[in-house]
Amino acid sequence: MKKYLQVLKITLQQEFAYRLNFIMWRVRNVMQVVLMFFLWSSVFSDPTKQFFGYDRTKILTYVFGILVIKAIVFSSRTIELSGIISDGTLGIYLLKPINFFKYWFTADMASKILNLSFSLVETAILFILLKPEIYFQSNPIYLLLFLLSLIIAVLLFFVTIFLINMFSFWAPEVGWALPFLFIVIVGDFLSGSVFPLDIFPRTFQNIFYSLPFPYLVFFPLQIYLGKISIPTTINGIVISLGWLIIFGVLVKYVWGKGLKKFSAEGI
Amino acid sequence: MDRAIVVDHLIKNFEVNIKNPGLKGSILSLIKPQKKIIRALKNISFSVQPGELVGFIGPNGAGKTTTLKVLSGLLYPTSGFIQVLNYDPWERREEFLKKISLVMGQKRQLWWDLPAIDSLELYKEIYELPQHEYAKNLEELVDLLEVRKILNIQVRRLSLGQRMRLELIAALLHKPEILFLDEPTLGLDVVAQQKIRDFIYEYNRKYNSTILLTSHNMDDVINLARRVIVIDQGKLIFDGVLDNLVNQFAKEKIIQVSLSNENNIKEIEKIGKIRKISYPLVTISVPRQTVAFAAAELLQNFPVDDLTIEEVPVEEIIRKLFKGSIKIKK
Repeated sequence: MKKYLQVLKITLQQEFAYRLNFIMWRVRNVMQVVLMFFLWSSVFSDPTKQFFGYDRTKILTYVFGILVIKAIVFSSRTIELSGIISDGTLGIYLLKPINFFKYWFTADMASKILNLSFSLVETAILFILLKPEIYFQSNPIYLLLFLLSLIIAVLLFFVTIFLINMFSFWAPEVGWALPFLFIVIVGDFLSGSVFPLDIFPRTFQNIFYSLPFPYLVFFPLQIYLGKISIPTTINGIVISLGWLIIFGVLVKYVWGKGLKKFSAEGI
Repeated sequence: MDRAIVVDHLIKNFEVNIKNPGLKGSILSLIKPQKKIIRALKNISFSVQPGELVGFIGPNGAGKTTTLKVLSGLLYPTSGFIQVLNYDPWERREEFLKKISLVMGQKRQLWWDLPAIDSLELYKEIYELPQHEYAKNLEELVDLLEVRKILNIQVRRLSLGQRMRLELIAALLHKPEILFLDEPTLGLDVVAQQKIRDFIYEYNRKYNSTILLTSHNMDDVINLARRVIVIDQGKLIFDGVLDNLVNQFAKEKIIQVSLSNENNIKEIEKIGKIRKISYPLVTISVPRQTVAFAAAELLQNFPVDDLTIEEVPVEEIIRKLFKGSIKIKK
């Protein structure tokens, strides 16, 4: 266990070494939230009006929720994996007496801790500046389910990113582009980080809900806001767990294949 | 005592995609990838005793690095039997990984943006070293490699030579029983090379650890290893003591004479092949069998002040081996 604590420490130190990158990333997230805040606050200027099942308080809570949940779910070091595979540094890791998956999950944790602390401070500052109405969930069952869905989201993102990065085993030259495209397209759009997904027509929503992506951001927020019933929540948790298992098994399988490939070509 | 490394009939083939030049070639290779088998190691056998320092020599692409990668467990052998410290390296068990270390000249294991000491602290935990053992090992290595002053400097700010010395510390912190060194002096200047060489020699002597070293820098191997393994085009062409390499492959000896005048200096070429004339010194090479006769001839017919008989330098033999101008008898 101490091994991984040290991995956590060194990854945090390394994040500090890249201060500028980190700050730019935070600025981007804050800008996005500020933009959405003004957009939605003008749409919902009348506090009594409701659209798509949101009132002013809930939609603004959604916007701020994105900032915090993205910091928890999307902060990741595993996105570097493709580079490590394609330049052959993977060999160095393989010869260390350490579990590769645990290593990267721990590194992700470091990134999450750092991003979460920043996002909380940012939220506090924005809260003071913009004075939005915020919805507080007080039902312990919803809070518990919210926590559960968040844990699933973190794991689901880890296996998804791990899986995508392993493309580098077969196509070292495009390896970096895939994780990047994933974060931009899926991370921002299909997960509900730009618009709440329930503003889309019913059929689209049904499709979205059968995919793994809404369970990263949208679904936990829906639970927090108490917008979906307990049976719907359980249903969603089952689907996301299903995806987690499928991707988890795939990661193991592809990893084995990838290592064979790695060793066959001796990259 | 058990042998540290056993390699028996090792074969390693690589499968690579080949692409014809140009855009057309790129598209074609997407639709119908053409595979080519590269035979990197063709039936290699050898074994190493604990505490031995073995040097691998061979030109680029001969299979030196591939051999080390198979032995450390990074590459899966196509066929053959491999045993390192009684483990199958490919399984990469934790107990095995704690007993070996691989240092690659062009791959780094230290965190680039952090001072080396941070990476070393991490390796302490990864290898589960007790504090006192870590402190003791670190102290010794820091002294041997003279790096105390640079431990707290960001690795990216160090010179290549300084970095290499720190890489060695990272690799040796857990006192591996076997150390694989792949081109440890790559890109270093002469002074830095010498420092690394001295250290490797010292380390092997002090801790009796088994060291396998590859280098295309012949000085490394000649200065360090008593035993050398010569690999060329995936085949093992020599395995033994350096001196035997000379006896086995050098068909000539070198005679150097110092002349008191240059009257009939041209005549010397009748006795042997002239390698160099810089009066008063003349160097010729003659067949091994006739060296005594040639020397007598020289003393009789030329104004010789001094005469020495030497072996052909190892570098030259190896160079000729790789160029194929010496035939290998099997």
